[in-house]
Amino acid sequence: MLFTEGNERLNMTTPVSVLRLPKGPDPNSRGFDPKSPRFIALCRTSIATSPASEADAEQLPREQHARSVLRESFLRCLLSMANKKIQFHMYERVTVEATFRASDIDVLNFQVSDLHTPIGVQKEALIRCQDVILFTFDA
Amino acid sequence: MAMRQTPLTCSGHTRPVVDLAFSGITPYGYFLISACKDGKPMMRQGDTGDWIGTFLGHKGAVWGATLNTDATKAATAAADFTAKVWDAVSGDEVLSLAHKHIVKTVTFTQDSNCLLTGGNDKLLRIYDLSNPEAAPQEIAGHSSAIKKALWCNNDKQILSAADDKTIRLDLIKTVEAPAPINSASLHPEKDFFVAGGEDFKLYKFDYSTKEELESYKGHFGPVHCVRFSPDGELYASGSEDGTLRLWQTAVGKTYGLWKCVLPEDLGAENAEQLYTTTPEI
Repeated sequence: MLFTEGNERLNMTTPVSVLRLPKGPDPNSRGFDPKSPRFIALCRTSIATSPASEADAEQLPREQHARSVLRESFLRCLLSMANKKIQFHMYERVTVEATFRASDIDVLNFQVSDLHTPIGVQKEALIRCQDVILFTFDA
Repeated sequence: MAMRQTPLTCSGHTRPVVDLAFSGITPYGYFLISACKDGKPMMRQGDTGDWIGTFLGHKGAVWGATLNTDATKAATAAADFTAKVWDAVSGDEVLSLAHKHIVKTVTFTQDSNCLLTGGNDKLLRIYDLSNPEAAPQEIAGHSSAIKKALWCNNDKQILSAADDKTIRLDLIKTVEAPAPINSASLHPEKDFFVAGGEDFKLYKFDYSTKEELESYKGHFGPVHCVRFSPDGELYASGSEDGTLRLWQTAVGKTYGLWKCVLPEDLGAENAEQLYTTTPEI
């Protein structure tokens, strides 16, 4: 005897077969799989070459050199920040001070210790990078 | 031989699902977005219900959600007094539009260049998405909170519905239903329409004869929204019970995750891969 939710008419009709159930959310991520064909086709994964460089073959290597210099100095900046007190200036005129520990690979979050907030000191915290406008520290 | 409808349940939301919308048909299929009081709208593959991603950022219940035709952008309306525009490929928030009260409804024009919003501040606003810093065009006129607003007539007109007004724009048909109805959707070919409401059931009516054709139990709470897919092969319902369910328009047809199986095949080897009863979640 099949007791299933379903039609009003409960008789011996066969329920439609299903290959599998819809896949549910991944508890560890917000989704939008970067490996999916749609993402690869439609999403910019990095900042594109400027139109001027695309047109001019001589300018392209200069632009690429400039970009790699900037990237290297940014990464060295992150390295030099380790275990230093940093002031983060964020939206809504929020400024907080914390000791920088590490960044994640995509620079989405900064791991910090002793985050001084208006409601107290948080021993360990993650600061969301998109909330930060600028940060300063004494090198 | 008559087949019994097997709805596909999409779980993941933790609070009532209050709005849902389909995109158009894209080279990657079509997509579905659901608005939920848990503040986390979700995007799913339209024909299977598979979760694609969750748009994170709202700080309150999300009352309205929509996708543009090619499913590259999403827009949501929330109780945190903002409407947000999202990149529907990466899931990133692209724009946050501050309002003076709860935002209930959002919708794109067909070219995705403008966004219409409406909510509890009783104003309709039109944002130019190529110039989002500019102040939106505001349209007053409603004397109570706006629940839903849509573009119509090739984006030349706006149809809006608010709490205390009865909207009748060229009333074409009235159909009696067995229970108070919260949402209805007309099939793209205009052969049927489906409706759902306070008695938790989904109803399917013939559009020309107004005859009730089918009805289905399945949700554990009132049905808040129901929409046909762009190809008309299925319809999705969102409920107070926090789930979305996908229902076949033609029960028994092979489509998406549904597979037409003849009785003699059920005894065969490949039958282990098929579920013949609706598994509980």
